[in-house]
Amino acid sequence: MRILFLITILSIFLIANEIKPTLTIYTYDSFTSPWGPAPKIKQAFEKDNNCTLKFIGISSSIGALRKIQLEGKKTKADILLGLDTSIAEVAKDTNLFIEHTLNITNLNLPIKYEDNIFVPFDYSYFAFVYNENNLKNIPHSFEDLINMPKNFKIVIQDPRSSTAGLGLLLWIKSIYGENASNYWKQLSPYILTITKGWSESYGLFLKGEADMVLSYTTSPAYHIIEENLTNIKASSFKNGHYGQIEVAAILKSSKQKVLAKKFLSFMHTKTFADIIPTSNWVYPVTNISNELKNPFKNLYKPSHMILTNGKIVQQNRKDIINEWLNAIQK
Amino acid sequence: MVKDILRFKNSILSGSLIIISLFLFILILFITLYNAQNADFTIQFDSRMYQLLKFTIYQAFLSTTLSLLVGLLLAWSLAHQSQFKGRKVLITLFSSSIVLPTIVVVFGIIGIFGRNGYFNQINLFLFDISFGSYLYGLSGILIAHVYLNASFAARSLLQSFESIPKEKYKLSKSLNFSIFKRFYYVEYPAIKSTLMSIGSTIFLLCFTSFAVVLLLGGSPSYNTLEVAIYEAVKLDFDITLAIKLAFIQITISAILVIISSSFQIVVSNLKASSNIIFWKDSKTVQLIQWFIIIVFSFFFILPLIVIIIDGIGSNFLQILKDTLFIKSLYTSIFIATISSIITGIIAIILSATMRNFTIRTRLSNKYISKFLNLIFLFFSNIYLAVPSLVMGLGFFIMSQTYAGSEFIWTISALITANILMSLPFAIAIINPLMQKTAKRYDKLSFSLGLTTLQRWTYVEYPYIKPSLGYVFALSFCFSLGDLGIISLFGSDEFTTLPWYLYQLMGSYRSTDAAGVALILLILVLTVFILLPKLFRNKIVKNN
Repeated sequence: MRILFLITILSIFLIANEIKPTLTIYTYDSFTSPWGPAPKIKQAFEKDNNCTLKFIGISSSIGALRKIQLEGKKTKADILLGLDTSIAEVAKDTNLFIEHTLNITNLNLPIKYEDNIFVPFDYSYFAFVYNENNLKNIPHSFEDLINMPKNFKIVIQDPRSSTAGLGLLLWIKSIYGENASNYWKQLSPYILTITKGWSESYGLFLKGEADMVLSYTTSPAYHIIEENLTNIKASSFKNGHYGQIEVAAILKSSKQKVLAKKFLSFMHTKTFADIIPTSNWVYPVTNISNELKNPFKNLYKPSHMILTNGKIVQQNRKDIINEWLNAIQK
Repeated sequence: MVKDILRFKNSILSGSLIIISLFLFILILFITLYNAQNADFTIQFDSRMYQLLKFTIYQAFLSTTLSLLVGLLLAWSLAHQSQFKGRKVLITLFSSSIVLPTIVVVFGIIGIFGRNGYFNQINLFLFDISFGSYLYGLSGILIAHVYLNASFAARSLLQSFESIPKEKYKLSKSLNFSIFKRFYYVEYPAIKSTLMSIGSTIFLLCFTSFAVVLLLGGSPSYNTLEVAIYEAVKLDFDITLAIKLAFIQITISAILVIISSSFQIVVSNLKASSNIIFWKDSKTVQLIQWFIIIVFSFFFILPLIVIIIDGIGSNFLQILKDTLFIKSLYTSIFIATISSIITGIIAIILSATMRNFTIRTRLSNKYISKFLNLIFLFFSNIYLAVPSLVMGLGFFIMSQTYAGSEFIWTISALITANILMSLPFAIAIINPLMQKTAKRYDKLSFSLGLTTLQRWTYVEYPYIKPSLGYVFALSFCFSLGDLGIISLFGSDEFTTLPWYLYQLMGSYRSTDAAGVALILLILVLTVFILLPKLFRNKIVKNN
């Protein structure tokens, strides 16, 4: 009799959980870490929408797209979150996404961006980050980088798997154009290693394996606020900084399209914008609540964002990457 | 002739079935890879592929040469220092290097030789110089390869050294040979064949090396073909490119395997034999020998110690409670158990078949026997020709095109790869033994009219039991520590211990990584040392 009771309770419990739909979001690993945005976003979104929000973290941003491609028809992803506008047009070619039908014209973006499939949710500027306790001679331009002493080492990311890596590639391409290959040949001896994703390279930098890492102008904010350390800084470059506007999109294969659309609009609410700065350590695309302090108040913010049009990237990506591979091959 | 074949129908049949299924498997693999290409099948040999090939061969060649050199010096030193405390332990440790998970070894090497490793830290503290980051790139790859292969080479070469009859040493002593003359006339002829076979094995292993290049190569600048295939699939999702690279890889590996099939892999047992050479060399030479032994032992043990030190500091309760860790542990052990059992069975069946072709009392005087023997050998070593990433790519494409749950495909891929990975070594151990039993007991067994089962229970099994334990331990550890196919199939849903460790290494959680590395190391060493003990015979084995 008691067993029957227990079984009934268990099945009610299980069924109750079945009724709540699950929204699965594939994103990069630092987003889903316990100290990243995912836990707070999950809490906020699940409160207002009767559902379970599941984040799956992959070790690199573009890697998340590849994972979906690898899984093919069997993918469980409803939303892909964490690509940026540079790779967006290339991602469109995979034909895996659908239109979001939202109005995204009134966002706080440094440059105008409109797309019918991809929705921006945060942005930042790329910069080389260093530890001022260890590095005394700071480079402030790409020319400075290749004139550093022999034992100076940087760690960067692979442009095929990481949006940060792709950002650096396009940044250098935008400055050097035809001579980009030549520049990479000169930069190559300073590269300690090229990691698949941002978090691996940042981890190496923090461990002291490299003097500088390609990261964001807003990375120091984490150390200032969470660790009370002011020695991690981002170097301001004379010729401007390449930027990154991160986007999200709904999968065509998703079975929770309505819920997914709700999430995309949720990304433009104050709640979301309040969470982003101190968990993902980048700029939100909508205004934060008035009560919150701006964590990036004293940080260097570039005056404008260098950004290559997605279509140009889509047409030339393979060539740019092959040029890069040939330049760094030993 | 038909009557003769019928006499051995049982053993020939089962072995042939296995070989035929292996052949079919490879055929299906090829067909799948071929069909999966969207463009025409033209391998454009562009400059990047040429660079990749050049680098792959170059690092394999350097690694092999260095490993053989170091291994030879070490074996020579150990052979002439045949009595010192802890010698047996040291040699056992060296022979365990072949089962150490590559990822664990690399983790330990980074801990010492990395830019922030202990070596540099000590140098900074004492002498205020840092050697910088010499680890990533070619030097790192070479260090890791030498670490893994020199000890394996030394162990095998040592056995060859110790099989030299004492009389030859007596003679060389009475002729007052210098150490060079003695090496040239006495020792080199004895070790030459081992040197060749070990050399070709190590070259193949380094040519198809994946985990080391992935972890220490550091960048696309230092890619080998295997890693390039991995990156083509995982980063670019450029399956066409991956397939092109796979075909280049298979072609070259197959040629190498055919060339080296004539050299059988010589794998030595755990036990250190004690052939004592009584005449010690001059004091200077002894000093050199000791120096070599100490330096190499130091180099070998340090990464392991680093793993222990770093690992002990981690929070084990937290690690053990992590669901992903538990999943990985369970999956790894499950797959390792199944694949090691199947490997053992296949090795026995194949050996049973192969000895039909080489023993005089059986079929060896038929013309076709030698050829069949070679075919069997080739297919046993097929893993060296079709390395893990290529196989993984084939399985991956198959899982996409044919029906079947992802879970079943992943498990089949892993188990198949693990079996094929251990098969060359399993056969190298079991085959000679079964040949010996046949040579010894054939006439008796046939005259007694023993059935297959009786023969197995009373003749074969007691004789090969200890080596069978070694084979199980070997394949279990290979499977446990492998980071090959799982790199393509690994996910949060399906994870093994090495894959889990790889994920940890690539994120903030380096203390957790150290803990998991330690757990993996302890697991592998325990199985490798204890499992053969379970299979040991109570009666003293006479060889």
